[in-house]
Amino acid sequence: MTELLIRNACVIDPLNDICGEVMDIAVRDGKIVESVGSGAEVIDAGGNLTMPGGIDSHTHICGTKVNFGRYMSPEDMRAGRTARQGHMHSTSGYSVPTTYGTSYRYSAMGYTTALEGAMAPLEARHTHEEFTHTPLQDMMANTLFDGNWPIMQAIHDGDIRRAAAIVGWTLSAVKGFAIKLTNPGGTEAWGWGKDVASIRDPVPHFEVTPAEIIRAMIEANEMLNLPHSVHLHCNCLGKPGNHQCTLETFDLVPNANNKRQSLYATHVQFHSYGGSSWRDICSRSEEICRAINSKPQIVIDMGQVMFGKTTTMTADGPMEFNLYRLYHNKWSNHDVELETGSGIIPVYYSRKNLVNSIMWSIGLELALLTDNPWQCILSTDNPNGAPFVKYPEIIALLMSKRYRNEVFETVHPNTEHNVPLAALDRELTWKDIAIMTRGAPAKALGIVDLGKGHLGEGADADIAIYPININETDPATSAEEVIRAFSQTDYTIKRGRVVCRQGTCMVDGKNTTIWVDPHISENYSMDHDPEFAKNFDRYYTVRMSNYPVQEEYIRRNLCIETEAQL
Amino acid sequence: MKVTLEVKPRQKPHLPIEAEGILPRTFFEGADSLTVFRGNQEIPIGEIFAVTIEGDAGSVDDVEITILGDSSRIKRIGEYMDGGRIHITGDIGMHCGNFMSAGEIVIDGNADAWLGREMRGGTIRCHGNAGDYCAAGYRGEKRGMRGGTIEVFSDAGDFTAETLAGGTVIIHGNAGDLSGVDMKEGNLTIMGDTSRVCANMLGGTAYVNGTVYDMIPTFRKIGQEKVNGEPYTRFSGDIANRGKGTLFIRNYKYLD
Repeated sequence: MTELLIRNACVIDPLNDICGEVMDIAVRDGKIVESVGSGAEVIDAGGNLTMPGGIDSHTHICGTKVNFGRYMSPEDMRAGRTARQGHMHSTSGYSVPTTYGTSYRYSAMGYTTALEGAMAPLEARHTHEEFTHTPLQDMMANTLFDGNWPIMQAIHDGDIRRAAAIVGWTLSAVKGFAIKLTNPGGTEAWGWGKDVASIRDPVPHFEVTPAEIIRAMIEANEMLNLPHSVHLHCNCLGKPGNHQCTLETFDLVPNANNKRQSLYATHVQFHSYGGSSWRDICSRSEEICRAINSKPQIVIDMGQVMFGKTTTMTADGPMEFNLYRLYHNKWSNHDVELETGSGIIPVYYSRKNLVNSIMWSIGLELALLTDNPWQCILSTDNPNGAPFVKYPEIIALLMSKRYRNEVFETVHPNTEHNVPLAALDRELTWKDIAIMTRGAPAKALGIVDLGKGHLGEGADADIAIYPININETDPATSAEEVIRAFSQTDYTIKRGRVVCRQGTCMVDGKNTTIWVDPHISENYSMDHDPEFAKNFDRYYTVRMSNYPVQEEYIRRNLCIETEAQL
Repeated sequence: MKVTLEVKPRQKPHLPIEAEGILPRTFFEGADSLTVFRGNQEIPIGEIFAVTIEGDAGSVDDVEITILGDSSRIKRIGEYMDGGRIHITGDIGMHCGNFMSAGEIVIDGNADAWLGREMRGGTIRCHGNAGDYCAAGYRGEKRGMRGGTIEVFSDAGDFTAETLAGGTVIIHGNAGDLSGVDMKEGNLTIMGDTSRVCANMLGGTAYVNGTVYDMIPTFRKIGQEKVNGEPYTRFSGDIANRGKGTLFIRNYKYLD
């Protein structure tokens, strides 16, 4: 039995409605408890800001795609080099660091849980292997279903229950966590050299539209009783005028679940563009946010762009090809059999570039114009908009109008004619930030009941103590203080142990992989479905019996068993 | 200030020494605690070199370092050099003059690979041969050498002036395969022969006074032209990369 007592913590815990109360937190055996004995180890938080461990609900840090980003960008490995020290492995890389680099840097920022944004089911083993080497965060994997042949066939046949059964079988086979749709239908069309231009544009050879895929998957998701909702990367990413597509997509979403949203729309910044070409691109964040404010069934994350070097990586193959035509730099293009595809391109977001400046503005506008912070999660779609180490700067931009103006002065001078940012006076509060980085992602992912994202009794003791006193610091005027504080915790506590102290990781650590296993009735079990097996053997390069990820690949893990209505 | 570094005989002379601290600025600012790396061991410079320092220096440009003895396995001499002079009397190991921005390095013997990699300014003169990747960029990086001059009086290896983005490179002997590959700006002159010169070139100018073997077919032939009275065939390309570089070549042979 190990006990820990954190004294004098100034706690913000939005899920338990605690905002700035100075209190003690008692921890026993990795869980938060009412009280501990006198022999407990004591940490004095000194009245500093204490929050549940951060949760990144959309980041690309593990798996084949990320690894290929490392592989094709050796120049990235010249940055961020640190030598082996104590419990810490040597690290390198900036936008696509080594797994340990990622883990240590997240931990130093107080993050204890992360969701890998896109895992191709066929390549799940690689993702799980890298999870094992990301020791200081609990991990989950969004599983890609955007161009899954048998599912598109089932949707075409109007058999949503069958589509749900295939999703359930696949999630449990690859130890995935949630349904991810990346440019639904578009990546499959890209396999034939095409893309879909709108959500009503049919996918070649399957004759289903993205709209049908999205609607069917939302329905299937609820049939399977999954903790998270459908996690959608909308069609037409990065195209001027794509806000129309995004709004149409939002209109498809029913309010199908009373515990959480029915659709998680990711990196919406990339989907909020007006205009018709790169010449007249502008921000349409106001319309997007009006839609979000009127639809509680939708939660988004920002997908904020920050200036500098980074790597874009997504399962959206055709979009990366368009980027390649813009940059003429290195480009990777990849097809994953009957599932999905991907593309990777290194980019540089320049503040001298009008389009990049507009993108930077839009991300902030989304956060400022969404009335309810529970509906807008802080993210950069790491590393697509910027590496996650930029989060503290984003927090400062959202909390301080003055800092925002200072940075706005440095971007392309024509930006102000194309975006409403300069007119927005809202400054987010400490509580808003806590919601956007802890409460909201936990709630959106459906992991609050697992004890994530809050500090109530029985919750996991994942705690971050930041070196800042919120009663003495006015974030509106001290952006630098805010950035410094959020860049490095005094203590990051994971499962009741101090894992990171002022940037130095104290333990080897061991993560938990959270996955789902929907229980499906025999009638719908794909294990004994002759047609599924026949098509599997016909089209895949692997045997169906070799496809499921073996238990050895996921060391410590937490399986969420659900009862499917099938 | 005259600094003389004489390499001491070593038990295992093939073990490379990483000595990025050896540059005029270090000695100008005081090099009492200067260390070098042998593998993963950090050791005082005195274990590898006999050091003698004579006189004073008013600025970094007054410092001249002379390296005597077998320095063929000493790496990264003059990395980030920003003034002064280094004279190497024998051969020098890899990565000599990386990122150099000013000053002069003279090598009497041969240089190993990566001589003057990603150089920004200054001058390197090598009287012997240079290894592969002389005046080149580095893995994954789009722009290599951006300024300064590298002159090799004998042959250079493969990938000479790879991703050249400025400055002048002169090879008096032959250059290896793929010299000037991915070149973007700057000037490359090869007095001898080379092969597959300037593949994927985007810009800049290259002269080859000898013969180019396996000439890249995606260069557009402009015609005969005289430069300083010497006859050349002028090419433009690499059109496979929408390049606008210029090649002046004395003789060339396409791949059969």
